[in-house]
Amino acid sequence: MRSSKSRGRFLALCVAPAAILYFVFMILPTLNVFRMSLFERGAYSPTETFVGTANFKALMGDVKFITAMQNTILLIVTVTIITFFFAIVFAAILTREKIKGQNFFRIVFYIPNILSVVVIAGIFSAIYKPENGMLNSILSLLRGETVMILWKDQPMVIVSVIIAMVWQAIGYYMVMYMASMSAVPESLYESAGLDGAGRLTQFFQLTLPLIWTNIRTTLTFFIISTINMAFLFVKAMVAKGMADVGLSFMYAQKDAGLYGYSMAAGVVIFLFSFLLSALVNLVTKREVLEM
Amino acid sequence: MKKFLSLLLTLALVLSLAACGGGNDAGTTPPPADSGSSGDTQAPPTAAEDVTITVAALASGYEEAYPGMWQEVCDAFTAETGVKVNLICDKNLEDVIGPSMQGGDFPDVIHLATGREKGLTEQFIKDRNIAELTDVLSMTIPGESAKVSDKIVGGFTDTSVTNPYGDGVTYLAPMFYSPCGLFYNAGLFEEKGWTVPATWDEMWELAEKAKAEDSYLFTYPTTGYFDAFLYALMYSVGGADFFNKATTYAEGIWDTPEAQQCFDIIAKLASYTNPVTPAQANDQDFTQNQQLVLDNKALFMPNGTWIVGEMAEAPRAEGFKWGMTALPAAKAGGNGASYCWLEQAWIPAAAPNLDAAKQFVAFLYSDAACAIFAKGGAVQPVPGLTDNLEGDNKMFYSIYDNGADAAMGNFAAYNAVAGLGTVREVFLDPVNGLVNGSISKDQWISDVKAASDQMRANIMG
Repeated sequence: MRSSKSRGRFLALCVAPAAILYFVFMILPTLNVFRMSLFERGAYSPTETFVGTANFKALMGDVKFITAMQNTILLIVTVTIITFFFAIVFAAILTREKIKGQNFFRIVFYIPNILSVVVIAGIFSAIYKPENGMLNSILSLLRGETVMILWKDQPMVIVSVIIAMVWQAIGYYMVMYMASMSAVPESLYESAGLDGAGRLTQFFQLTLPLIWTNIRTTLTFFIISTINMAFLFVKAMVAKGMADVGLSFMYAQKDAGLYGYSMAAGVVIFLFSFLLSALVNLVTKREVLEM
Repeated sequence: MKKFLSLLLTLALVLSLAACGGGNDAGTTPPPADSGSSGDTQAPPTAAEDVTITVAALASGYEEAYPGMWQEVCDAFTAETGVKVNLICDKNLEDVIGPSMQGGDFPDVIHLATGREKGLTEQFIKDRNIAELTDVLSMTIPGESAKVSDKIVGGFTDTSVTNPYGDGVTYLAPMFYSPCGLFYNAGLFEEKGWTVPATWDEMWELAEKAKAEDSYLFTYPTTGYFDAFLYALMYSVGGADFFNKATTYAEGIWDTPEAQQCFDIIAKLASYTNPVTPAQANDQDFTQNQQLVLDNKALFMPNGTWIVGEMAEAPRAEGFKWGMTALPAAKAGGNGASYCWLEQAWIPAAAPNLDAAKQFVAFLYSDAACAIFAKGGAVQPVPGLTDNLEGDNKMFYSIYDNGADAAMGNFAAYNAVAGLGTVREVFLDPVNGLVNGSISKDQWISDVKAASDQMRANIMG
């Protein structure tokens, strides 16, 4: 009895630093965001006025905010679908098929993930350059005439952002799926092969169901991180006002001296990402298969 | 014993956390690297020798041209007055001083102009968070016998750039100024035998000539560069009266013929702009737009004198020579106009060492400080400074001697309203849309009118 009590105390002591730090640096600031969204103040001013839900009401009527959220949703949906499709396909190919230089491909795909967004923006500004840019030059070569697509201008600008984001994200998720795919026992594939299942059937009937838990978890991660990554890419790559997303709207309001209003936008985005992850979790719920 | 030990450990943990949490207020823990030793400023100001002021200055092109410029000025100030200076000099000054200011820790003097994307100075103006400088103007410059107001060229402390509330009180000290105008390749004009247009009609004629040469009339680095352009345009079209009314959002001002002419000129210019411009009008690629002028793919771009240093390493067409002209006159026989871009230095109202900060601002106009700033190519509105300029700068700063009107001032400050947007978002950013066709001229004008009405309703002063 006595030993379990002191054991509990020891455990509490071990957990306390992390818990306290988490509370001070995560929970408190988050609560503060909610509080500040009910006030109007400048970022650096000492005074603030309570305005109730006025910030949220203004937000619902703000065309710029609605456009920004539309862009955010568009990016989340398209980038998620494309990234997951390619990540799973590449992972399946690299683990199941015998390809020369597997490790080489694994590293090549992973590299974009360790680059900072600023570097990626630099790379893509060379790719998207209207005159003599890589993409336009390749297209010109294929078409046999000069192609002049303005990648970072309307209406292509959102496509450019999607391409860059997919390019950056594929490698990381591919490596994750490769890890879980290589955990699927070889014997399962062998017996499936004996039963006459082709490669595609094996992929859909074996691989996919067995790594489903992994896909579910990464999907939630990915959606939350895309909200943030979309902001970083748009900020680093394109002109302000071309393809604003939720978080760039939030920062713009702060720079315009509307700190409370930008916090209200932050609250809406926070709740949005929370609900979206819950929804995704609910929709992707399947019976867990044991290997 | 064990119990005692665990109690002791818990206590130590709680104490260390408490120290972390309350540290910033009490000034016991050293603040994060960039905010420097602001803890020292808490010491009671017994003698000048014990005071340390914190100066935050933007490391702009001038600092790049002469690294250590600001440090040298601070050292000279310390040598003169004994007040120690802790300098924060950074390209992204807002990101460096912003977080600690949100925590209530303000520098004593900030050199950061209005019109930057992060709008930090504008936020201080909107919050009425800047200390008055009236007594600085009548102060004697440390180490000299002259008063500050004697060393500032007349007119520089009379505009909305330094007196944001229109009440004649100076809050921001006028520091480096630079004429803005249209930059072009003078070598190309000589080669083709073209003359620099004096009116907009001549400008449109030139546009057709440029088309024949497979070039375009116009480009711009980003839409932000249109602020100086718009100010100069309003001044050249409607003169000082129209300029003042427009920048204070006077009722019906955008329906006047002068305003219509401004809109027409910008819309027409958009149609003559090199079409790749908006795709590169972002912080990542704007130098590519500037490169268009160096490569003769566009004739003119709005810019400032720093462009020469900024593009010094860039490849260029054969025979390239920088040229700068004021905006053409609105009608034949009229005067062109050039906007005078002015950087400001100011003191936050919550600065811990107000007196020493004011001394520092006064010192910025001393002969010693002016000489140091001049090494970086920075010119203050102090009489006689432009006489010593050399090279391209001599030509740039002589623009007003050649008959162009000087436009000074900016859009009046207004209380921020949710959904209204900044001056740049309302007036300037849509130019990208005009060039790529995603917004019509009428739509832009009606947006400007609607926003202008709201700005007038919330104007400060």
